[in-house]
Amino acid sequence: MSNPILSLRDVHLSLNGNAGMVDILHGISLDVTKGETLALIGPSGSGKSSLLMVMGGLEQATGGTISAVNQDLTNLDEDALAAFRRHHMGVVFQSFHLIPTMTALENVAVPLELAGESDAFDRAQAELEAVGLGARADHYPNQMSGGEQQRVALARALAPRPEILLADEPTGNLDGTNGEAVMDLLFDLRDRHGATLIMVTHAPELANRCDRVIRLRDGRLDQ
Amino acid sequence: MKTAWIFATRELRSGLRGFGIFLACLALGIAAIAAVGSTRTAILKGLERDGAALLGGDAELQFTYRFATADERAWMQSQAIQVSEITDFRSMIVVPSGADTSPERALTQVKSVDAAYPLVGEVKLSPEMPLDQAIAANGAVMERVLADRLGLMIGDSFSIGTGTFRLSAILQREPDNAGGGFGLGPRTLVRTESLANAGLLQTGTLFDTKYRMLLPEGTELAALERDAEQRFANSGLRWTDARNGAPGVQQFVDRLGAFLVLVGLSGLAVGGVGVSAAVRSYLERKTSVIATLKTLGASRSTIFATYAIQIGLLTILGIAIGLVLGAALPLALAPIIEARLPVPAEFAIHPKPLIEAAIYGAFAAAIFTLWPLARTENIRAATLFRDALGHDNALPRKRYLFLTAGLVAALVLSAIAFSGTAFLTLWTAGGIIAVLGVLALAARGLRALAAAATKMRALRGRPALRLALGAIGGPREQASSAILSLGLGLSVLAAVGQIDGNLRGAIARDLPDVAPSYFFVDIQSDQLNGFNARLAGDPAVSRVDTAPMLRGVISKINDRPAKEIAGDHWVLQGDRGVTYAQTAADGVTITQGSWWPADYTGAPQISFAAEEAEEMGLVLGDTMTINILGRDITGTITSFREVDFSTAGIGFILTMNPAALQGAPHSHIATVYATPEAEAEILRDLAGTFPNITAIRVADAIARVGELLASLAAATSLGASATLITGFLVLIGAAAAGVDARTFEAAVLKTLGASKGVILKSFALRAGLLGAAAGTIALIAGLTFAWAVSTFVMETSFAIVWGNALAIIIGGVAATMLAFLGYAWGPLKARPAGILRRGN
Repeated sequence: MSNPILSLRDVHLSLNGNAGMVDILHGISLDVTKGETLALIGPSGSGKSSLLMVMGGLEQATGGTISAVNQDLTNLDEDALAAFRRHHMGVVFQSFHLIPTMTALENVAVPLELAGESDAFDRAQAELEAVGLGARADHYPNQMSGGEQQRVALARALAPRPEILLADEPTGNLDGTNGEAVMDLLFDLRDRHGATLIMVTHAPELANRCDRVIRLRDGRLDQ
Repeated sequence: MKTAWIFATRELRSGLRGFGIFLACLALGIAAIAAVGSTRTAILKGLERDGAALLGGDAELQFTYRFATADERAWMQSQAIQVSEITDFRSMIVVPSGADTSPERALTQVKSVDAAYPLVGEVKLSPEMPLDQAIAANGAVMERVLADRLGLMIGDSFSIGTGTFRLSAILQREPDNAGGGFGLGPRTLVRTESLANAGLLQTGTLFDTKYRMLLPEGTELAALERDAEQRFANSGLRWTDARNGAPGVQQFVDRLGAFLVLVGLSGLAVGGVGVSAAVRSYLERKTSVIATLKTLGASRSTIFATYAIQIGLLTILGIAIGLVLGAALPLALAPIIEARLPVPAEFAIHPKPLIEAAIYGAFAAAIFTLWPLARTENIRAATLFRDALGHDNALPRKRYLFLTAGLVAALVLSAIAFSGTAFLTLWTAGGIIAVLGVLALAARGLRALAAAATKMRALRGRPALRLALGAIGGPREQASSAILSLGLGLSVLAAVGQIDGNLRGAIARDLPDVAPSYFFVDIQSDQLNGFNARLAGDPAVSRVDTAPMLRGVISKINDRPAKEIAGDHWVLQGDRGVTYAQTAADGVTITQGSWWPADYTGAPQISFAAEEAEEMGLVLGDTMTINILGRDITGTITSFREVDFSTAGIGFILTMNPAALQGAPHSHIATVYATPEAEAEILRDLAGTFPNITAIRVADAIARVGELLASLAAATSLGASATLITGFLVLIGAAAAGVDARTFEAAVLKTLGASKGVILKSFALRAGLLGAAAGTIALIAGLTFAWAVSTFVMETSFAIVWGNALAIIIGGVAATMLAFLGYAWGPLKARPAGILRRGN
């Protein structure tokens, strides 16, 4: 394998739940190549989403090492992780997670503004047009359908041109037609931008569109 | 209803989580009203209990300018066990010059008494001694402040008029002083006989006599009053009795108390905003429960009743907490309040103010919870998982609108009934509703402005500021709750501060430029030439005005009791200065009618102040009866003229033709306009030559008025502060309610690469902007009100008091920052993964 863009070594994650500490991930080791598309599948509670969060630095691993884009993420603090994501990573969620107090255009512009891009709004408008929502730029999330919101979320994730795109069940909250359209768009944009895509999904047909599929069971890789 | 009750009690089993702000807002608003009401009642009860002591007897007959006639005295002796005569007047105390000091002078309010004084209560002196002993043989006692001002020690001599007195003790407590009203000079107490040769109590000089009576047990005071007034009709007598021993104080406390309760109502209105928000937030959390109940067959009325019962029970709890606090606070602070009050108070648990506060609380809770409750009817079972309640801003059904209007009307009517003043209540209620309306509109405007600002090119690349503006202008805005909660309290504080500042500014800055240096009263007719001669040649004196001065009570208008025609107008309260003049003074503008001819000697004619005439509903040709020195003089109003009181010069409401009054014994008043450096010398010369003349230094009077205004402004500000504290609580509630939204926002922003610093900056900016906006809007509302009051009511010039304006805006910013940043830590430290997994 060529030099991986994302590398996990013996990653553990334990979270404090109502019933005390719960072990979520048990010694995950994994390399992802630049430009690869990878599907994480497995039953509910197997740790797919948690693994994705750990990869994105949204959850702090309790053991092991994580490196991405030649940078060791393991011991970075929250602000340093945020700065890393700002420049290298995009995230798409099942529940879209648009900021409700901002219009579609503003939502897409936020990561560009945070990265200090002077043409943030022009680029955000272009991204919206690329997902077919140029005309809905001034609409707030609650004025859009689920499919439209997810397209905005896609545009937002890809606007800073991240090397890595993380997607957590991006069609999980959408009906069949909308889900399919969003998926086509996701793969199309990824192909265009050449980002590495790591996607959590329950849908086998989506997983099959990826270069590689990894199955998780009880927090362990089940390859 | 039974089903609703069962559902309601089941739901309440989960505890009162989320109702802290509801209970706090309601309890605080009610506690403030109950505390003010309880204190007012305590003072009024104290006045009632000690009525006789405050009055100095069971009943009092007061005359202006004269002693009682033989008939009057005989009647009093026949009714009373004991009668005591006192006189009350202003005069000058002069301390003769020493070897190396010039004479000291000071204004004093002299009370001369007979041996029977005081009939009730006790005079306290320092050193302790009986009053009889202290004021025997030209002895005198005075308040410490006066003795200190004059540098007098016990045993020192001083003069009042032409009489010489010796200070024998300091007056520490005067039992009948509460009814004294507004006095310009501290008290000196002497024996009436000692004044016999002082040249002060001559006919025509300004003095009051009061005859206090100690009556047999069981005397019907009302019947006795009727008897006195019938027997001595048109004698100018004024009756007071122990039922209301200090009428001025009682009226003042009653009015100020009523006003502060009404200010307290504004606190309840602000609390209502928090109550409404808390209920809305609670019902939003219950959307799925409501939808499920509907799915299972619950009717709209059952749903409404289920939640109305819950809110009702919580309201009862809130009211109970408020009443306990409102009743306990005055009791706990009683020793401190009593020590500061110049009048007695009877602190206890008084039911009436508590009932009043409970009724206001119940109405306010009903008004502010009805709309959110009504919206439960709009939740459809099919919208089980939609945010159906949160964005439903449609008006509730008509029946609820009518019910709301009815509740508001009932609240206002209760306030009128309790305060006893429809005028004040309607203005206050109208003011509260108008300000809340303006604030709601301003909040909408602010949201639109913030939403528009986020699209400005200048804001691009400034994510923290744009996030802040987006949060203010976006759909989950908190602008309305911040502006409504802080706005009302800040508006009242701004208005009070601006009015107070302008009025005191006008008095302190503008008045000295146009006001005279001295008022001289009690100038006898034979002294007038000498008085004028001393001033005529003095280059430091720019102007001297003199006028004959009598005092009279307007008893009838068009032969009917004056109060029936003109109500409670201030001109009819007590006695007024009356003068006569051959011709209209220079510069006087006659607005209607014409002045009498210079040689007119016919039936009495009156020229009356135009503005007051309009307020009293007087027209040319009306007749007016004035009781002067016990004699009724009836004249016809033949002209109205402008009288300007704002310059503190001589201004008489009522002027008559000379023939009508010349025969009555009277003195003269004068105003002297002189350079400040010459004032002392003028006083020395005139007081030396005419010891009976009293000089009132206008600057001292202005300072005294300024002190009174400051006290009133402080009391009102205190009331407004309660509103502000409630507003702050509402703000805390709003900040707490928005924590989830901000946590989510912070999580998304962190995912997109925002540092904690950027997120915190955005939170601080939105709080600061909201606070500044709330402060600015409140300031505009306060300034508008203050300008209107200053211009149209006070008729003074208006200039913005910048210190107060700045304080209002800083106050707004500080309050919102404190409330919102207090809740910033949670969203900042929350881990994004956990938040985003839960979803929005």
